[in-house]
Amino acid sequence: MPDIGVALSTIVSGVLLGGMLALTALGLSIVLGVMRLVNLAHGDFVVVGAYVGLFFLKFTGVDPLLGLPVIALIVAALAIPLYRFLLAPLAERGPEAQMMTMFAVAIILENAFVLGFSADTRSIERDYATLPLTLGPVTVPLIYVIGFAIAVALILAVHWLISRTRFGRDLRASAADAQAAATLGIDVKRVQMLTFGLGAACAGVGGTLIGAAFQFGPSSGAAYLLNSLAIVVLGGLGNVLGTLFGGVTLGFLQSVGGLTLGDGYRDLVGMALFLLVLAFRPDGFLARRRS
Amino acid sequence: MKTSSGLAEVGVLLAAFVLLWFAPSFAGDYGLQIAFRVLIYLTLAESWNLLAGSTGLVSLGTSCFVGLGAYVAFGLMNAFDVPLPLGLACCAVAGGALAALVSPALFRLRGLYFTVGTLALAELLRLIMVNVSAFGGASGIFLQKDPPPLPVLFHYALVVALIASLAITACARSRISVILRAVRDDEDAAAQMGVRPYRTKLGAFILSSALVAIAGGVQATKLGAIEPYGMFGLQWSIDVLSMVIIGGVGLRLGPLVGALFVVALGEALADYPEAHVAIAGVILIVLIRFAPRGVVGFVENLAPFTQKKRVAA
Repeated sequence: MPDIGVALSTIVSGVLLGGMLALTALGLSIVLGVMRLVNLAHGDFVVVGAYVGLFFLKFTGVDPLLGLPVIALIVAALAIPLYRFLLAPLAERGPEAQMMTMFAVAIILENAFVLGFSADTRSIERDYATLPLTLGPVTVPLIYVIGFAIAVALILAVHWLISRTRFGRDLRASAADAQAAATLGIDVKRVQMLTFGLGAACAGVGGTLIGAAFQFGPSSGAAYLLNSLAIVVLGGLGNVLGTLFGGVTLGFLQSVGGLTLGDGYRDLVGMALFLLVLAFRPDGFLARRRS
Repeated sequence: MKTSSGLAEVGVLLAAFVLLWFAPSFAGDYGLQIAFRVLIYLTLAESWNLLAGSTGLVSLGTSCFVGLGAYVAFGLMNAFDVPLPLGLACCAVAGGALAALVSPALFRLRGLYFTVGTLALAELLRLIMVNVSAFGGASGIFLQKDPPPLPVLFHYALVVALIASLAITACARSRISVILRAVRDDEDAAAQMGVRPYRTKLGAFILSSALVAIAGGVQATKLGAIEPYGMFGLQWSIDVLSMVIIGGVGLRLGPLVGALFVVALGEALADYPEAHVAIAGVILIVLIRFAPRGVVGFVENLAPFTQKKRVAA
């Protein structure tokens, strides 16, 4: 067992990472809620966000954290044609056809990353990223705190968007009952398209944050997808603030698992948690489903 | 009518089996390698179809049971010097047992969660194999005794493929098919009629997983060495999904056509692994959109009089 300062720092780091993952999970969650689609390419959208952040820095020289709105727009603009040309035509065919299409998109993206950007593991390098931030016995890199703060702010912003705006009202109506919403004059296809774009933007911004704080590679997508799913299940589908709770909880438990069992067990904890929650506490999302 | 066409199908399968049994005497080494891979893939695709075509459950967890079969077979053969047939029988038991164990979690909330659950399960098993040194860790394990020669392994693969095909025939041509389709098309209505959807789905899942685990055991024995990234790799699930979508989901000939196609594509693009997978992805997207019943369904639509050959679509 490492000493208490290291242990605490590891746990705090895990929680901060969990907050950033919560933002990516939120994107997955709103698409799942509105479109009944488990977007199997979501993890690769996260990787797209990381690469966009990397090349944004390389070509403009602007700090990717300042350019986050632009990065969000770029990733959303890449995702919306996928909805328009691949998913929308399959809308009548049930969720499996859309899900398998996104699975195919995921494997295409993953191999395109390898072909285009090589299999190297990369990181968005900023000089302040490695600066340590110390509070009592806890020392964490500054970038973790910045990334976490941005992620939480954006999750709250999405919460506000969904609960307070006109678009949010349409979104909630479409999620609850798409047919009834359409009858009431809501353009459900448009809502779905914007939701898909918003979900991708969440993934993209989360990807830039994670890419700045950690490392990523062309095949990191699967791990992001599975972690995001675990967070959605933990927090409860359709519960925006629950997603933040789920992310922080997952980050905490992964760190504890890594500390007590060994570093290789971090991801294993996440997967085990996901299946256990599905088996024993599915009420988190059952509560919102129509009977 | 139903029974006679079922018997005819069994007859065709047995005739093909007998014919292929003598393949090692006339096929060269390369031909036998390819045929072996087609048979393993055929088994995987038939098993997937058994589950999806009859219950509507879409699995991305093929790799999970391939890997399980591989590790169970190697573990038993290395530790207890178990003969291969007994080892493969244990693979089937292990595959079925794992399916039964995780079904409470995976069958929650119909449909979509099953798919992501199987994905998570494969990842979970892979991480266990990577981390637990008793299972060989990241570098995997070797088969300590010499594996049987290729013609013998080919016969094993042939028997396994026959079992999988007969299982499909039994499910598609007998009274069970009515129950399976009832559950697939409307679980609630089926329950009203006295069918037990949970048990039906569980049965299909256990059978399908057991078959995949046997195929994994045979494949691993041929390799002689296994490691978690390959045996639990997503590639298995990608290939299976490609096969059934290319062939046609729930169609009797779908898995065979799909297996031949995917093996041929893999051979043609063997030197370009990334391009191979990306092209498979493009084919999937196009087929899902424009030929949802795959190549077999497409051909059937061209020749309407063959429609009666559809089994579960």
